[in-house]
Amino acid sequence: MTLLLSAAPRNIGRRPSLTGGFAALLLAAFFAIAIAGPWLVPFDPAAIGAGMPFEPPSWQHPFGTDNFGRDVFSRVVIGTRQALATGLAATGLAVIVGTALGLWLAHRRGIVDEIVARILDVLISMPPLIMALLAVSVFGSNPALVVLTVAVLFAPRVARVVRAAALTVVTEDYVTAALLRGETTLAIVLRELLPNVAGTVFVEFSIRTGYAIVMIGSLSFLGFGSPPPTPEWGLMINEGYAAVNASFWPVLAPTAAMALLVIAVNLFTDDVSRLIGHSGPVEARR
Amino acid sequence: MTAPLIAVDDLTIDYGRQPAACHRAVDGVSFDIRPGEVLGLAGESGSGKSTVAYALLARRRPGSRIVSGRILFEGEDILPLPERQVRLLRGGRIGFVPQNPATSLTPSMPVGRQIVETIEIHGVARGAAARRLAEDLLARVHLPEPQALARRYPHQLSGGQQQRVLIAMALACRPRLLVLDEPTTGLDVTTQAQILTLLADIRAEFATAMLYVSHDLAALGRLADRIAVMKDGRLVEIGPTASIVGSPRQPYTRVLLAALPDLDRPPAGVTDDAAKRNGGEGKPLLEIDGLVAAYRGEGLSAIWRRPPPTVRDVSFSIRRGETFALIGESGSGKSTIARAILGLTPHRRGGVRFDGRDLPADARRWQGEWRRRIQIVFQNPDASLNPRHSVAAILGRPLERFFGLRGRDRRLRAAELLESVRLDPAFLDRRPDQLSGGQRQRVAIARALAAEPEVLICDEVLSALDVSVQAEILALLRTLQAERHLTYLFISHDLAVVRWFAQSVGVLHRGEFCALGPVEEVFSPPHHPYTARLLAAVPRISAPDDNAGRPAKAWFGGPARASSTV
Amino acid sequence: MPKLIAFRCLSALATLAVVSVIVFWMVEWLPGDAAERLLGRDVTAAGLAALRDKLQLGIAPWSRYGHWLAGVLSGDLGTSISSGRPVADVLAGPAGNTLLLTGIVLVLYFPLSLGLGVWAAVRQGRPVDLAVQLFTLIGMCLPEYVVAIALTSVFAVKLGWLPPLALIDQAHTFGDLIRTLLLPTVTLTAAMTAYAVRMIRECLIDVLRSGYVDMAHLKGTPPRRVLLRHALPNALGPALNVTALNVAWLTGGIVVVETIFNFPGLGRLLVDAISNKDVPVILSVSLLLTGVYIFCNLVADIGSLVFNPKLRSAR
Repeated sequence: MTLLLSAAPRNIGRRPSLTGGFAALLLAAFFAIAIAGPWLVPFDPAAIGAGMPFEPPSWQHPFGTDNFGRDVFSRVVIGTRQALATGLAATGLAVIVGTALGLWLAHRRGIVDEIVARILDVLISMPPLIMALLAVSVFGSNPALVVLTVAVLFAPRVARVVRAAALTVVTEDYVTAALLRGETTLAIVLRELLPNVAGTVFVEFSIRTGYAIVMIGSLSFLGFGSPPPTPEWGLMINEGYAAVNASFWPVLAPTAAMALLVIAVNLFTDDVSRLIGHSGPVEARR
Repeated sequence: MTAPLIAVDDLTIDYGRQPAACHRAVDGVSFDIRPGEVLGLAGESGSGKSTVAYALLARRRPGSRIVSGRILFEGEDILPLPERQVRLLRGGRIGFVPQNPATSLTPSMPVGRQIVETIEIHGVARGAAARRLAEDLLARVHLPEPQALARRYPHQLSGGQQQRVLIAMALACRPRLLVLDEPTTGLDVTTQAQILTLLADIRAEFATAMLYVSHDLAALGRLADRIAVMKDGRLVEIGPTASIVGSPRQPYTRVLLAALPDLDRPPAGVTDDAAKRNGGEGKPLLEIDGLVAAYRGEGLSAIWRRPPPTVRDVSFSIRRGETFALIGESGSGKSTIARAILGLTPHRRGGVRFDGRDLPADARRWQGEWRRRIQIVFQNPDASLNPRHSVAAILGRPLERFFGLRGRDRRLRAAELLESVRLDPAFLDRRPDQLSGGQRQRVAIARALAAEPEVLICDEVLSALDVSVQAEILALLRTLQAERHLTYLFISHDLAVVRWFAQSVGVLHRGEFCALGPVEEVFSPPHHPYTARLLAAVPRISAPDDNAGRPAKAWFGGPARASSTV
Repeated sequence: MPKLIAFRCLSALATLAVVSVIVFWMVEWLPGDAAERLLGRDVTAAGLAALRDKLQLGIAPWSRYGHWLAGVLSGDLGTSISSGRPVADVLAGPAGNTLLLTGIVLVLYFPLSLGLGVWAAVRQGRPVDLAVQLFTLIGMCLPEYVVAIALTSVFAVKLGWLPPLALIDQAHTFGDLIRTLLLPTVTLTAAMTAYAVRMIRECLIDVLRSGYVDMAHLKGTPPRRVLLRHALPNALGPALNVTALNVAWLTGGIVVVETIFNFPGLGRLLVDAISNKDVPVILSVSLLLTGVYIFCNLVADIGSLVFNPKLRSAR
């Protein structure tokens, strides 16, 4: 990372901002919780009757209990791992496939590139949430399938962004020089193109992670995620929302967790993209 | 002695907020301009000359801060004036012509409308009267069909036309002072000459005082009464044009002058020696026969629509050790020829023979030896070096591919290459963005030399560099040619350089040769009309009296008229 | 230019065709056949056979697709399995409700995003700008259901000012209607506006740094005129683009928001249909929403062509 940052010529004199540093800390905390979760929680997240139903927050149950008397704190903490893991897995998959495709297209150019780019445009002009709903309702809703669905929906978007970035690089003379040296496609893509779009790829990765977490959460909230006992944030919000009049906490805790995570990802992305001279996660990407 | 129109007094401008970490762009600069006088402000990029030009309009460039000094326009200090009064000056009594015409006109507004706006803001005229005035101005700057042109959008005009529109806009309210910030830098050679001619004409007609900012001493010599030279934010010399050009006192001014290519004398570092005249021997090394080539088309339509050829039926040959120059304006097809020879353009036709063998039309089908023996150095060193690689990696890659060098051997050889282009081997671990433009171009040359080529194609290798750096690179190329017995295909738009650097020359006009042969023959009369035009466009250093002697009208009887619609 | 527009329209149609095939085949490719899926495990053989017959499962998929497509084109969307009514009837009410909701959102969206975007851009770096940026960042990255729940918790549950559910059918007076629609409207507007404000702000800041704005100042143009005549027209192209994308995003947003507020619109209809495995309704609603989505993208494309003088005069 530091290497990536120091290499960019435009970042001289730019420092990470306060919000960026805060976001990085928050993200680190989320990762730590995701890894150490099982050792941190006082209760089994699925244990019914850890307390009375709808207990308010106390020292024993920091976020209260839900309709089955399960400990909300434990459920939120354990849910962190799944939220991060599914989000990162879906994004990672999409970014790997999309980057490879985008770079290859930019290098290849010509007819193949034009045709594949049009196909990507067609894929992108399908409403993602509705396609995801359909796919999940048809193929089933286990986490692996949800991850795969989101990855398939995001990959063409990543490919388009990376291709656009790489197209400005392939016309540079150092790529021509590599071509004249007789370098192979793989060498040109890896040595000449990838290092110069690494910033774009990174920004794309972190933006998409935010979106993936939101989208997987949306699916789970709509009831197309993991089955009920699972401590998944979206599902918890859904369940808690049904009984929001009885207690506030079963909804608030997972909602706040998701909000914090997504805001942290976005602030972090914003700062990194500013540092490496990108326009930031504003351009329309929905 | 009349009172000065504008007087700059001890002007100091910093960039950056904190006093500790700021950069002094302008340091105690003082000068004045009398009514009707043209002052040339010379200097290389980063010397602070544009910052001074902006200050004359009481405008700070983003991030800059005026530390001290006064600017008296007609006796009144304009720096502390309230915004409302400054606005009356700008465009009203002080006109401004910017450096880059392409980005200086509002894209969403027809150009006529933009001039009318200026006229109306300053209350000179309104409505139909303002429109007529605008059309009249467009005619004054020699734009054809002003009524139709006024309705066009900026992107529908050429660079030269855009600059004429901006000049018309600057003149709209009959200003007493015109500030010109490098007004010809982004333009073609012949267009540059036309704009200079236009400015001389305006000066004769309107008697407007001007501050003409430029890095081009030759252009200043043609237009200015006095020249001021800036270096690192300081004014190092100021005086009448004749004395600055004729007998400069400051060493820096001499460097600037010596670096200027001149048709009448060889540039610094290039001696007009006998070896050059006899250069080239034996049978041709590179033969081009009936070459037809086009740029690669973009978009889906490129699949079924072939782009029209930018190079049509071009033939020439270069002997071993010779320097062959290709000259022409941008868009004449020079670079396309270089790319076509290297097999980088689609649909190439015609023969390209290298050392008796046919070179395939597609670079991907070239054999390893051919790739090694022909190398290219590109125009813009920013784009030809991968910003993510160190100099060692940039030089090491061809050494590895062509000679199988690895590890220590490769590094040693890379260091030798740096020395051969007169760079410190310590640069091996730097990245391109840590080098200056000239140093980058040396690295690019070293990368080409790494292959130990026989033919070196130099594609406008000087045009992205400052004048003084150009002379250094030229001298280096000459030395390398002698040391390594290189054959050059030297592509340039600069006749003055070619005149002294090459033995043979081909003059390209719209993809075809309009003149071809030894330099002496092509450049000595009688010229082909296009060659004559190019020759006339080369700025020569001369005192302004040369120009003043001619009647103003004569400017338009000359070569400029034919192309005043560029 | 007409050529370009024609090309965009054609590719939009092609996209719609591709989507219809994908949607149709997604439902086709399930393990087991549609009849089994629809009726679940505990079903009689006779019931299964009757449904198979009704769904024409005996015919090859391609011709079934053709048959279905012909029906759609002639306005016959089939019959809803869960309610037994024609799909067109089932769709009509929710479509009207969704149109009402999105219409109100759009009316609020334009002035809000333009106003805030320009305000933040001209006050760049000042407190106003920072506040707007904070608001947009939160609005941008929070999922709609988080915003919706936050709003409901405060205004419906804690304060009790507004109804937590948007049961539009039970709203009898105009006041009721407003109160019913307020929370879903605010939720959707917040997310959309946040994007547009950021976009307008960034574009305008870019344009304000451009050579032609500099030139406009240097010829003495008053600042307000520089903003309105020189800067804004050139910043609106990309902003328009993001607007159409935003409207397209609404197609997904309404699914979530309508579910939360129990608003009887197309989004909730789709979720219900998916839970009920009501295939004809799933197909029709998703195709309708996709059509809207593609149409918005098309408008964005053509809009940016029309607003860009460079592209306008091309060809």
